[in-house]
Parts: sequence; structure tokens; C-alpha cells
Amino acid sequence: MKKIFAVIRREFVERVRTKAFVISTVLLPVFMVLMVLLPGLMMSGGDRTRNVAVVDASGSGLGQPVGKVLEAATFGDAEGAKPRYRVQVFPADAASLAQVRDGLIAKTGFAKGRQHDGWDGVLVLADNTLASGKLTYYGDNVTSPESMSRLRRDVSEALAGVRLAKSGVDQALVSKAMAPADLDTTKVSDGKLTGQSGKASFMIAYFMGFVLYLATLIYGQQTMTSVIEEKTSRIMEVLTSSLTPFQMLLGKVLGVGLAGLTQMAIWVGSAFVLGSQGARLAGAFGVSAEAARSFAIPGIAPSLLVVFLLYFALGFLLYGALYAAIGAMCNTIQETQQYAIFVTMFVLVGFFAVFALIKDPTGTLGVTMSYIPFFSPFTMPVRWSMTSVPLLQLCVSLALMVLALLACVWLAARIYRTGILMYGKKPSWGELWRWIRA
Amino acid sequence: MTSPSVSVESVTKRFSGHTAVNKLSLDVYPGGIFGLLGPNGAGKSTTIRLIMGILEPDQGKVSLFGSSDGSRKLSARIGYLPEERGLYKKMKVLDHLIFLGETKGISRGDARRRALAWLERLGIADWALKKVEDLSKGMQQKVQFAGALLHDPDLVILDEPFSGLDPVNAQVMKDIVVGIAKAGRTVLFSTHVMEQAERMCDRIAIIARGETVVSGTVAQVKADFGGRHVALGFSHDRERATAILADPRLIARVDDYGASAELKMADGADPEQLLAALVREGVGLRRFEVVEPSLQAIFITKVGADPAAIPLPAGVAA
Repeated sequence: MKKIFAVIRREFVERVRTKAFVISTVLLPVFMVLMVLLPGLMMSGGDRTRNVAVVDASGSGLGQPVGKVLEAATFGDAEGAKPRYRVQVFPADAASLAQVRDGLIAKTGFAKGRQHDGWDGVLVLADNTLASGKLTYYGDNVTSPESMSRLRRDVSEALAGVRLAKSGVDQALVSKAMAPADLDTTKVSDGKLTGQSGKASFMIAYFMGFVLYLATLIYGQQTMTSVIEEKTSRIMEVLTSSLTPFQMLLGKVLGVGLAGLTQMAIWVGSAFVLGSQGARLAGAFGVSAEAARSFAIPGIAPSLLVVFLLYFALGFLLYGALYAAIGAMCNTIQETQQYAIFVTMFVLVGFFAVFALIKDPTGTLGVTMSYIPFFSPFTMPVRWSMTSVPLLQLCVSLALMVLALLACVWLAARIYRTGILMYGKKPSWGELWRWIRA
Repeated sequence: MTSPSVSVESVTKRFSGHTAVNKLSLDVYPGGIFGLLGPNGAGKSTTIRLIMGILEPDQGKVSLFGSSDGSRKLSARIGYLPEERGLYKKMKVLDHLIFLGETKGISRGDARRRALAWLERLGIADWALKKVEDLSKGMQQKVQFAGALLHDPDLVILDEPFSGLDPVNAQVMKDIVVGIAKAGRTVLFSTHVMEQAERMCDRIAIIARGETVVSGTVAQVKADFGGRHVALGFSHDRERATAILADPRLIARVDDYGASAELKMADGADPEQLLAALVREGVGLRRFEVVEPSLQAIFITKVGADPAAIPLPAGVAA
């Protein structure tokens, strides 16, 4: 036992001390902070009221109602919210349309420079606009999908209103009828409100799947590489005279796993802090809390965190043992690839299953996959975050996971025992089978 | 007599058709230095790996300290320096030694104290906090040497311990090995350098092609070899001796080094006859001495090849 601790300590300390580890550990939280701040900073120009010139060549006075609807549009629903557009209507007819339009376009794109006669955009209503719904917008923000869909919605509303009014429907009734549905989503778990929005659940699920995927690939491969290094540096011969293969394997996988877990803990921890303190942080940087909130990392429920860490630890050990066994079989990193691809495939399938699960977390696929030990580390936390998983399912899944882990470590230790001192020749599948049975 | 520290009984090991060790037996008794000699590819390293339990014998039995538990269970009593030296390149020297100590079951604090003492003794204390990869090859070898001896093992097994060392460092290592033996512990080391073995070892076993050729105490091996031997040193006119040295009535075998030679006299021939013949021919002699056969000479006769060289075509050496 003491010897295993020595191996674990060595693996952990040597790994945590490397520059690569320190940099990657610090970089992700920094990246997360930027994720929260940057969109806010970039969007800070986004809630500016835009000067829109409406050229009315419809011949039916369409400009007035359109202008009115646009002017009524605001940022957010709050009382006294900023208007989205400042509108001025320019009447024109078919003959003067081109001239008026081009004159306005020549002044478009300067509004940001605070020139008083500058425009952000020119909206042209043609004579067939009311009938066909076709109209043209020239502006400096046409590449922003959000602004454009917003504009389309506002103009559509105005056109619909005018069309209905023409058919004799009362204007007040129209605006009442046009009031949009406002859907707020909240997740329910075990008959209790969790207070998380649907979007937040998705974010958490995706984030966790990604973290596990990344960690398994990075740290699994590191375990494999470090076995290869021990073989090529021939230190294995010294170690094997005082340590059993099981001690070496378990120590290595646990040591590397602990290093990975430390990094994850720092990452998840900082995400947690950001999730709860994101708005305050954004405020400190002068970004409006409103802008930051839409990109904030959602908080993680403690039970989910426990489930995630449990599966992370088990999943990591499972894959770590497999990767270590592959390392023991091969002599060079290049050689490992053809074996590692099988393991990597499992990781990939597990990770991409998350996307299918997000659509249908309680379906047969999800339930089946959370019983298969190679996939359950990915699927179970996602399901836990999105639906309420029966406790029995969780227990069975965890039990299967532990069994599979023991089996894998046993198997890997058999391969390790023979493989670590095999230099030069790569074993055939038949030989591998003999190593395991020996 | 007490039970041997190392006992190898009729062990055979084959690697994909080629027999590396063939029914080899040897016993290493406690105390003293045991030399495992043989040319390259004789099976020295394989034998040592079999003793260390790194390889499993196909046939036969290895026991250590009279028990067949294997070296891993007894690792606290055994120090091992493999032929292929290996250290974690990125680790600091001191940390590395502490780790090696821990794998032998010493506590961390104890391992640290011993590691520092060894680094001091080997003259590389200044490098304790440097990474292994920053050290020269000779220094790395010293670190590994210290790692093998850190836990004060009863039995020290060294595979080619002096290869790749400069004379000064080789001397330091040699003194340490001799010191261990003097302290009553057992050293088993392999080498293909006969002079070294001859000076250091109490007992030897010469192996070739995976089989024991000769074994016993150095004196015994020499006595058993028998015959009269003459060591010659030439000062000038070396070529005039050629005919005499080729005379089968006088000389049974020549070990020619150019400026010197070791001869085995033919049966019934007298060293005086040889000396007279050489003087008559006007060969300039720096040395003429009737000697015990050297291990080198014994080796060449028994194995039929120069130990340090690749096997020569038959007839050249004999």
C-alpha cells in the first residue's frame, strides 16, 4: 500500500509541476471569464438606438404605420426601456425613389461616428410591399443575424397590422392580437422546481460531457504515453524489481487521474463561481449585467456535481487502465495509435451520444447507454442534469461501472505484467490472449 | 555452509527459438564478490534478469536467500543495477532517489537522508536539485548506482556496473563495491572485462553460449587450468620472435598483444629454453616472467573467443 502511494505521489507531483499543466489549468478559467465578459463588451454597442430612414414609395402611406411600430420597439420589456430605432419617414414616388434612396445610402454607416445626419440603415418600402411583403433594407448591421431577424419581425408586425386594418379590423384589436407569446422554461425534477431554465440544463449537460471527453482523451493518452516513456527509458526494469505490475498500474492510473481531477476541480469550481458571481464580475468590468447574463455559465446543482465527479472518477480510471494496457503492449507512441483508436472510439461514441440524449434524455437509447460502463460516464450526468433519473438506475449503473473498472484493471494488469518488459516486438492478438491467461 | 544468497538450478530460457540460457546452474554464497563473466551475448544479462525474476525461466528454478518467493517480495534486501540504465529524465535527482527508496519500502524521511549521504559520497551533491536529464551520462549512472544501494541491501546485483565510466569514476564505483563486500554483504556483478574481475572477485563463473564453462574461486580456476605460462614484454626487434612463438614444440598457445604477449608453454617445454631462444635471436625483452594464467587466457582457451570481441573465426585465437 505504501508503495502504491509512492507511485501515486510521484505521478501526481511530477505531472502537476509541469508548465503545461499549470498553463492549461489557469487558461481555461481565464477563457471562461472572457466568455462571460467578451460578449458583453462586444455587445455593449448592440443596445444602441439605431437611426433608420424609411423611404416610403408605397404610394399608400405605408411609411407611417411601419415607422410607428418600429419606434415602439424597445430593448427589453422594462418600463422606460431604450427604443430600438429612431425613425424618420421620407415620402417618395416611383420616379424619385432611386434618387432619395441613394442620397440616404450615401449618408449611411456614419451614425456610429455621431454625425447627426448619419443613418444606420435605410428601409425602402416599394409600391408592392404591402401585397407581396417584399422590401429592402440597406444598413451597416445587415450581417448581424439577431438584428435582422428582429427587424424582420418588427416590419412583419407592422405590415400585418396595416393589412388587417385595411380589412376593417380595429387597430386596438390588432395590437392586442399581435402580442407575442413569451415562453419561460423551468426544469422540474422529482416534482420540484429546480430553478434552472431549460437553456441552463442544456449548457450544463453539454459542458460536462465536453469536460469528460476532453479529460479522458488528454489524461488517458497521458497515461499511455507515460507507460511508453517508462519502457523506452528502461526505468521499468528497476521498478519491476521492487513493484508488482498491479501496484505500478494502479499507482499510475490513480496518480494521473488525481492530477486530472485536480484540474477538473479547479475548472468546474471556477465555472461554479462564475455562474453565481458572473453578473457581479461583469458589473465590475463595466459590462451591463443584462448583456453578461445571456452568456453566463449556469450554476450547478450540488447533487449533479456529486454524480458528475463520481462518474468522472470511475470513467477516468476505466479508460486510464485501458490506455495503460495499450501503452504496455507497444514500444512507440506511433504503435499505440492502432490500438488506442478502439478506446478513443468508445470515448467518441459516448460523447456524441450526449447530443442525441439532449433531445430525448429518457429514451431507450439513453437508458441503455447509461448501463454500459464505457458510455455511462458520459450519458448518466447528462441525463441527471436534464431529467430525474430513478435512484435504482443510478445505483445499477454505478455498480456495473465499478465491476467493469475492476475487470479492466485486472485485465490491464495481466497485459502490463508481460508487456512492460517486452521490447522490440509488438504482440499479436494471439500472444496478447496468452499474456492475459498466463 | 549457509544457504546460498543466490541459487540458480539448471535454468533454461529460450527466446523465440534461440536458447539464451541453457541448463545453467550457479550458487552465490553470502559475503564476497561473485563475478559473472562472459563475452557479449553469452547470456549474462538474461541470467541476471532470471535471478531478479524479471524473466521467468522456461525450466529450472531460481531461489534467493533460500526462498523461492522471488525478488519482488525480497526487494528490500536486494539492490539491482540493470544493464539498461533508466531514470525518469524530468525528475529532480533527489526526488528520484527518494522515490526509488520508497519503492524499496524505506520511509520518505529516511530515504531523503540516505539519498543526500549517497550524493555527497559520490561527489554529486551539488546536482541534487537538478533534473536528471541535465546530468552527464556518467553522473546519471552514479545516481542509478546510489538508487540501487540506497536501502542497504544484503545482496547487490550489478549488471555491467563499470561500463561507460571514465577511469576516475570507475575507481570510485569499484571502491564502493569492494566496501560493500568488506561489510559482509554479497555482490554479484557481470562483466566482460577479465582484468577487472580478476582483481576484484573472490569467485567467478565464466559463461558462454548460455552455459557455464568454468566456475569456482579465482585461485581454483587458475590451478585447474594448469600449464606453465609466460608473460613477455618486447622492447625492440619484435619480429625476430615470430618464428619462435610459432614453434609448436615450445609454445602451446599465444595470446599476442603486439608489444606484449602471454604464452602457454607446450607440454615438456621449459621456460628457460624459450628465454635462450629469444636471446639468441636478439629479441629485445622488457619483461620475461613465469606467471599464473590470467583469466583472460583461461577464458580464451575455454571459450575459444576473445571475451571483449565478437567471436573470431575458428583457429585464429587457438
